[in-house]
Amino acid sequence: MDWLEQELKQAMARKDPSPDFAVRVEARVRQKPSERPTVLEMPRRRVFVMPRWVAAAAAVVVIAGSAEGYRWHRGLEAKRQVMEAMRLTSEKLNHIQARVNEARK
Amino acid sequence: MTGIAIAETAGIEFGQLVREHQSMVFSLAWHFLHDRESAEEVAQEVFLSLHKHLGEIQTPSHAGFWLKRVTVQRSIDEARKRQRRPKIALESVPEPAARSAPRDPLLSEVLRRLIATLAEAPRSVMILRYQEDLDPSEIAEVLDMPVGTVKSHLQRSLALLREKLERRGVGEY
Repeated sequence: MDWLEQELKQAMARKDPSPDFAVRVEARVRQKPSERPTVLEMPRRRVFVMPRWVAAAAAVVVIAGSAEGYRWHRGLEAKRQVMEAMRLTSEKLNHIQARVNEARK
Repeated sequence: MTGIAIAETAGIEFGQLVREHQSMVFSLAWHFLHDRESAEEVAQEVFLSLHKHLGEIQTPSHAGFWLKRVTVQRSIDEARKRQRRPKIALESVPEPAARSAPRDPLLSEVLRRLIATLAEAPRSVMILRYQEDLDPSEIAEVLDMPVGTVKSHLQRSLALLREKLERRGVGEY
């Protein structure tokens, strides 16, 4: 082992934590899990990770569904308007027919 | 039977493990992070994790191995999370005065800081080698890394440190 390695061993020698370190660890162990700070509690694995493409696909489906629903609504409205126009036209024709019949008499 | 009860049956007592290994765990984190407060937090979390996994620990020596591995992993996680590797840039490490005597405290600080500037893998290898006095095969086992890679990290890191120090006029006495 050369001088540098000897110096490294000296430099990297173990250090002690705070004197109350063990007491604090044991106090945290006695705490209920829900009371513990969760800073580094678990390896940072998320239980459920939604991939971005799933979110994007869901958004596309919602938007496409909304557009389709809007088109369907517009179709119904147009149909209702056509039916109303035909009803009015029919009323007018009936009215004219009645007048024509009266005139003939 | 709980994990803690199983461990206690095997003669492993949590409080005893904390007292026995606290310096090792804290020092690994401190040498890795070069920040006392963060090192204590990481060390506490490592012991809390040990408490949860106590049932998996078979022997006291297994506990030591488990603690080394988890401490290095947690230290790497913490360093990545804070994205502050290294806290001190290599160029900003103060130049030590030429050595006049062995065990120069300034040189020790410079060496610690130079090690803190290494990338994660070589830093972990150097800390386990010189803090824990592990040989390359033991380091390879802890870090789950080929022995050849460990030896390569050691050689390259030593060469780099030697070059940095010699450039600053610090050499063999």
